[in-house]
Formats: sequence, structure tokens, C-alpha cells
Amino acid sequence: MPIEPTIVNKIILAILNGVVWALIIALVALGLTLIFGLMDIVNIAHGDFYMLGAVLAWYGVALFNNFWLGAVMAMIFTAILGAVVERSIIRPVEGLPAFTVVVTIGLSYIIQQSVLATFGGSPQTVPEPIRLTIEFLGIRYPAYRLFVAGVSGLALIALGVFLFKTPYGLWIRASMQDKEIASAMGINVSNVYIMTFSLGAMLSALGGALAAPITQVFYLMGLDVLAISFIIVIIGGLGSLKGTLIAAFIISLLENFITLVATPTEARVISLLIMGAVLLIRPKGLFST
Amino acid sequence: MKNRLILYVLVLVILFSLGFTLPTDMRSLSIDIFIFAIYAMAYDILYGYTGQFSYGQAVFFGVAAYGLLLPVLHTNTNLWVSLTIALVITVVFGIVLGFLAVRLGGAYFVIITIIFNLTFYLIALDWIWLTGGDDGLTFRAPKIEFGVFSLSLYDPVVTYYFMLSFLLASYLILKRLISSPIGKVLIAIRENEERAQLIGYNVFRYKLLAYVVSALFTGLSGALYSLRTRYASADYFNIALSVQPIIWTLVGGAGTLTGPIVGVILINPLIYYIGVWWKHYLSIIGALMIFVVIYSPKGIVGNLINKIEKS
Repeated sequence: MPIEPTIVNKIILAILNGVVWALIIALVALGLTLIFGLMDIVNIAHGDFYMLGAVLAWYGVALFNNFWLGAVMAMIFTAILGAVVERSIIRPVEGLPAFTVVVTIGLSYIIQQSVLATFGGSPQTVPEPIRLTIEFLGIRYPAYRLFVAGVSGLALIALGVFLFKTPYGLWIRASMQDKEIASAMGINVSNVYIMTFSLGAMLSALGGALAAPITQVFYLMGLDVLAISFIIVIIGGLGSLKGTLIAAFIISLLENFITLVATPTEARVISLLIMGAVLLIRPKGLFST
Repeated sequence: MKNRLILYVLVLVILFSLGFTLPTDMRSLSIDIFIFAIYAMAYDILYGYTGQFSYGQAVFFGVAAYGLLLPVLHTNTNLWVSLTIALVITVVFGIVLGFLAVRLGGAYFVIITIIFNLTFYLIALDWIWLTGGDDGLTFRAPKIEFGVFSLSLYDPVVTYYFMLSFLLASYLILKRLISSPIGKVLIAIRENEERAQLIGYNVFRYKLLAYVVSALFTGLSGALYSLRTRYASADYFNIALSVQPIIWTLVGGAGTLTGPIVGVILINPLIYYIGVWWKHYLSIIGALMIFVVIYSPKGIVGNLINKIEKS
């Protein structure tokens, strides 16, 4: 029996969208898990860094008619913001997990309200900076999305190189394993904290900037991303970089497949159920050590 | 002891006489405070006494609000039956979600409760046939029936005493709970979970108990709130509603039971009056949260108790 071409097309689309989305979310979720793995901080404002990335990309287009400038601005701005935030408001409550959550909720409110006051409350769209569609396998696919996948993939590789091939990465990984010994070996753990928080915020903003032309830019858009990132880090194992990356692909592809036959909300409910199952079978995540 | 008794009587007399002397808008604000005070105390049992930092209590608030609304709306059940249905459903949700969340503790607990909350909110927005989505559903409040007597919740004075009595009852029950041996075990778990485990307490069971009790009273608050507003919408699951008890508890003082009530009394009028002239009042709340944990982590009542104990 011949398979209907439209179904094949839909499946190919779901795979493509799933991969693109997985790479974007992986950027955000890796930032989250990196910050947690090092500092034990559940960063509620992480979704808002993502939102800031998208909003600044929008400003890049609106003010300078240049998306790329906006994306770079977003990364620089959030990296600085991340460093300042770590130093000023997270440092005083370091080591008190509940309080770090409260502080980042407070920060989240301040960022959201600042964006609401300047950017406004209605959703905006960012035009795709590459207006090309590529035809293959009987479908038309926006070239920008493939480009996003490429950039995110490169960013992930760069992150890998940074973490595993440079002294900075070595310091971060050493501090993640044991702060006191790392400190005794002469690593400035305080600077490592600032660097990591800033790096995490920047990754999240990059994800947001890249996603801006694909989704709508809205001051509460970070919440949804925060939810999916949390599901991913729980499934992958909190603090596990490899687990986070794999879980990002599993969940993103799955949600895109399910959306073929159900609503996005139902897809999310299924992700939630999978998370529940993982928690029952392997409480510390699929790839915990 | 005698001083404390006088204080209790004084507070009761004031609360009772305010019911018919307050102007309308302040009475309305007081009713909200009574309802949310139950929510605040419920949170204190979970975080203040057991050290479980939840960021998703709005799930139970919303579930109970609909647990009360739906029976009244569709089958016109009377008040007590619908309230019971609402609370039973909340407890069931509390047990199921608690079973998943409570086992891991720490950061996992925080994250899982957030995920529950955000997902429930999405569902509530999406399943319009059940919840009415963003627009919500309205209903006619059933009468309060005691045998042959019946009172109308459309009378604000009645509502005032009705909600006040629930607050007082909740306070007495929760006060009794934390003064009991169970309460001592909960505090022991907060102070040192491993040690409590080593002494031989089933830590999981006690933490789950605290979670379910907290869910139950959060649910009571949600059900009463939907009864007061005669309305519920997806917004009753809003994550912002899960932040509220955190603020109340931290400002007032965690682990004091009365502290979170003080938090409600201070914060709610603040939000109400600031919200009127500045729509970005949430940024003040955000700044307040940061300020409180850095400079006054014990909260108002916590600091007071410290001072009294020192002198």
C-alpha cells in the first residue's frame, strides 16, 4: 500500500522542526544545568534571559534594521547582566538553595516588568533575516531554520571545546566536582562562579535571539521555555551536560511528533508523564552518574 | 501565659467587631486577607516547618477552586457537599503529585513543583470545555445551610464572618498539628533530614504528610476564594499565585504560623493600593523579595521572637 506523501512530508517536517527546536532548547537547558551543577542554583530567571535575547533581537531589527547586531547585543548584554546579578544579589545568599530561588524569582519579576514597561505587553514578530525557502524531499523549508540549527550546533560545539579543551573549562569542571579542593589548587572559584553564571545567561539569550523569528516575542515567553528546559534537565539528570543534550533531543522530537496528532498542550502533558515515569524509575535522571 | 490569653481575646474581639464597622472596600480587603491567610499558613507548614520549598502551590488553589465550582455549576450541589468534593479532589492531587515530588527534595523538589504548576496552567488554558480557559466560568454561590437556617453569601457581612470562621478553624487545627509530636518530627526534618532518618523516622512519609496537609489547606483557600468571587479561570493556576505564599511567608517569618498571616496583612493592601496607580508594581514585589532574603531572612515575626527570647 503506498503511503500518502502528505504524511511523509509532515513527518519530515516534524523531524526538522524537532531538531531545530532541540538545538535551541539545548542551549538554554545547558546554561541552566551548568549553573545548577556548579552553584546549586535553580535559576528561575533563566527563561527571562531567553526572553531578553529575543527582545533585544527585535530591537536590533527595529532600531538598526539588523537582526545580527541585535543578537550580538543580546549576548553581550545578558553576559554582563549575568555577571552583575551573580555578584550583587546571588552571592549574599549562596549556599542557601531556597533563597537563591527567591532571589531569582525577584529578578525574574524585575526583568519582566522592565521589558513590559519598555517593549510593551503585546506579542511582536521578528521577520526572518534569511528569507529563502529550500525545497527538498517534496517539502519547502525556511532556510533560516536550517541556519539556526547550524548556529546552535556550532555554539554547542564551541561550548564543548570551551569546557573540555581550555583552562577556563577545566576550572569550571574542577569547581563542579569539588569547590574546596579546586580552591586549594589555586583556582579562583569566585571568578569561576561569575563566569559560569554569565556564560549560562548568554547561552540562554542566544537561544532566545535565534528563536525570535520563529516564535512570537512576548514578555512572558520565557515561562514556557523554562518549563520545557526544566523537564529536560530532570529527565537528563540535573547537572549532567550529556544527559541534558540527549534529553533535549528526545523531548523536542517527541513533542513535535505528538503535535502531528494532538495539541501542543497534550504533547506537553505527555512530556510531563514521561518525566514522572523517569522520576519513578531513575529518580536522579536517565544519565546521572 | 495569661498575657497571651488576653492577646488572643483582644484579637478575637477586634476581628469580630470589625465585621460590621469596616467600610465596604476595607471589609472586602479583609475577606481576601482571611482567605489568603489560610493559603499562607498552609505554605508555612510545607516550607517553614518542613523545609520543602515549593514553587507550585497554585496547582492546589486552582484544583480546589474548580473542584467547588464545577459541581455547583453543573449539578447544583449544596455548599457543604461541593466544598467536601473540592477538598477530597485536592487531597488526591496532593498525594499523587507529592508522591513524585517529595521523594527527591532539594532542587528537584523546587523544579518539579514549577513544572507541575506551569503544565497545569497550560492545561487549564487549553481545556476550555472544562475550565472556561482564560475567560473562566461564573456561578451562583449556593446558600450557607445549617439545618433550617440559611444565609446568603451575597451579603458581604455574612461572607466576612464565614471566611473569618474558616481562618480561625484552620489556625487552630494547624497550631494543634505543629504543637503535636508530628509537628516536632517535621521541624526535626527541616533542621537535619539525615539525622531524623537515622533516629528512625520515615522521613518520606512525614514530608508527604506535610505536603498533603499543605495541599488541603491551600485547596480550602482556593475553594473559598472561588466561592467569594463566584468565578474561576485558568488564572487561578497562574504561577504568580505560587509566588504569593513565598513572599508572605518570608516577609512575615517562616516557621512561625502567625508570621505568614502578618505577611498577608502587610503585602496584600500594599499590592492593592500600589497596583491602582502603578501597573508595574510587580517589580516592587521582586525587589522586596530580594531585599528580604538578603537583609531580613527571618522575617518580621521571626525577628520579634528572637528579640523576645534574648531579653
